[in-house]
Amino acid sequence: MKKVWTRIAGSALLPFLSFLLAFIISGFFIAFSDATVLKNIGHPGKFITSALSTVGNAYLALFQGSIFDPNLTAGHGFMRGFYPLSETIVTATPLILTGLAVALAFQSGLFNIGAQGQFIFGAIGASYVGFHFTFTPVLHVILAIVAGVLCAAIYGGIVGLLKARTGAHEVIVTIMLNYIAGFFILWILKTTAFLRPRRIDPIAPEVNPSAQLPHLAGENFRLHAGILIALVAAYFVWWVLNRTTVGFQFRAVGANASAAKTAGISVSKVTIWTMSLCGALAGLGGAVHVLGSQYALTADIGGSFGFDAITVALLGRAKPFGTVLAALLFGALRTGGRTMQSNTTTPLDIVLVIQALIVLFIASPTLVRFIFKVKNLKTNAAMTAKGWNG
Amino acid sequence: MKKTLKYLSAVAALALVTGVAVAPASHAAKIKACVVLDTGGVDDHSFNAGAWAGAQSTSAIADVSYLPSSSAADFAPNIKKFLDQKCAIIIGVGFSISGEIVKAGKANPGTKFAVVDDSAMDCNADYSVCNAVANVKGLTFSTDQAAFQAGYLAAGYSKTGTVATYGGAPYPTVTIFMDGYAKGVAYYNKAKGKNVKVLGWDPVKKTGTFVGDFSNTSKASQLSQGFEQQGADVIMPVAGGLGGSTAKESQTSGKSVTIWVDTDGYLSAPQYGSVLLTTVAKGLGAAVKSVITDVKKGTFTGSAYVGTLANGGVSISPLHDFASKVPSRLQLEVKMIGRQIASGSLKI
Repeated sequence: MKKVWTRIAGSALLPFLSFLLAFIISGFFIAFSDATVLKNIGHPGKFITSALSTVGNAYLALFQGSIFDPNLTAGHGFMRGFYPLSETIVTATPLILTGLAVALAFQSGLFNIGAQGQFIFGAIGASYVGFHFTFTPVLHVILAIVAGVLCAAIYGGIVGLLKARTGAHEVIVTIMLNYIAGFFILWILKTTAFLRPRRIDPIAPEVNPSAQLPHLAGENFRLHAGILIALVAAYFVWWVLNRTTVGFQFRAVGANASAAKTAGISVSKVTIWTMSLCGALAGLGGAVHVLGSQYALTADIGGSFGFDAITVALLGRAKPFGTVLAALLFGALRTGGRTMQSNTTTPLDIVLVIQALIVLFIASPTLVRFIFKVKNLKTNAAMTAKGWNG
Repeated sequence: MKKTLKYLSAVAALALVTGVAVAPASHAAKIKACVVLDTGGVDDHSFNAGAWAGAQSTSAIADVSYLPSSSAADFAPNIKKFLDQKCAIIIGVGFSISGEIVKAGKANPGTKFAVVDDSAMDCNADYSVCNAVANVKGLTFSTDQAAFQAGYLAAGYSKTGTVATYGGAPYPTVTIFMDGYAKGVAYYNKAKGKNVKVLGWDPVKKTGTFVGDFSNTSKASQLSQGFEQQGADVIMPVAGGLGGSTAKESQTSGKSVTIWVDTDGYLSAPQYGSVLLTTVAKGLGAAVKSVITDVKKGTFTGSAYVGTLANGGVSISPLHDFASKVPSRLQLEVKMIGRQIASGSLKI
């Protein structure tokens, strides 16, 4: 048991230290972008206290806005204080799924930048089945999700097919397909099949109540069943990778494609399967996002879920469990940033700085090792490099 | 390693303690006015910036704050955040946020809401029945009235007998400009017995030329060049910041002049001043300011605000550099038309 814990601590050390460094450096940004702090720059004592209180307030608001806010409990009971946590989970749910789509690709040596496009196709499929048909509640949700997953699996599969048959690099292909998905949704929202009646701006009708994912904690919280789906998906990915022959083949190709080929594994088959499965995961994210919290398809439904997914997968070291944690962290930063901006004067954009710094440090373990004087810092450099060498 | 961590935790603890101690004091006399922005961001030089500037101008009577939205998914949580903060008035910017504001307005009758650029009605699923909500005020602008004047001016100014317009995306708040513009040209043709053509918008079929978004500068330049090649010498882009692409094209080719929209471009984008014939201005900031002032005075009502030529909510800006280049007779006629529309004697 002790061995397991040391292993977890070992692999979590780099993300944790990167996280810490990112927060410290962002603290400087927060302090130096604040008008009152800058006003005191001539008086060292006053400057330091005002800088510390500004940064402290900002991070306190970040916590209040993402985990627990005592101000919300008044008149609503203690549990209402956890409303921010429920919002964190709602934001993290699609991120977990898109993150898994990138992580799984990493595991078999592919760099999936196309989670954004796959997410959009998943959302389109789920939305169409959601608003266009009426079925009995449980069946309707399942059918809508399946439709989204299928659309996205095919969209992801195209990448695998192109790579396997023609050798086209998946990075280029997925980037291009993201553009296609972005313009496709703009176009499809203008067609009579999708455009909401009496509207001319790109928005689809809301999905029928029978296709909406049930709320988990009552109507006061937006928390929906999507998080359960995401956790099951994470377990599924872990199970496939570690407990099945297919998963072994995925990892074998990821570790060394030539060796895997010599051992009799069909690399092209694995590529097609991986990309379809990645597409399915990202599409599930899109479906859950539409059926769980948005209900109506809009042109910007994809947000930046597909791009943040790359960061999330990197932070989670391309492991399913790590990806879940990383997505929750990003969800917390996003929701907390909102409170930070409205309670203090610190702009929401500082969250993007924190995110970017985390990635920067994770990608440069030597720097982290140097700063903290840690010797045996476990890195996963192979993972990041493999994607490019394909 | 251990030492570093020790220092860090000490600093963090100190920060938290001082942070709690120096929480900002609240100003009891001021009301709290909160603005949820559209995806354009606070510095879009267009309607988000305009609305936020209007809110900021009330800082003597209100504590103003805003939240940006990176996509439509942010609208609901942003509104919820401001509800938790007990804002006296929550203002949503842009018509795409309208649905969420109306939903919040119905659920929180004690809070006041406003939507910039939409009538903020509570509609049923197929939009056949729409009702006003008592605590939600829609701020809309009859920009077609001022655009009608601009169309008349453009038709009179054009040497080639062809003028053009295009939009960012076919939103109702965009096409209303193009509609008024085309009708203004038609009115000129009827009055003068001329045949000035309008490219980019058909007011009968309600179809026209659009970039597809509000950020593709190369497509905007392309469209402007295309219009020039078809002989247009006045172009009105209704596409937020993309207007700059058309103005730049006017400057480099020398074949056209540009009509700006939203805020007087001669002042907000002075680098293009030499080619800006005029601006179809929309008083977003003034409308936001008046809403916040009404809340402070206790005179807020949910009844819709419609900016018109008559109440100054929309207007056509001074000609600036073009005052000497446009025949004074035409200038007078444009003014006359404005007065006629304002008084109701001229129907668009």
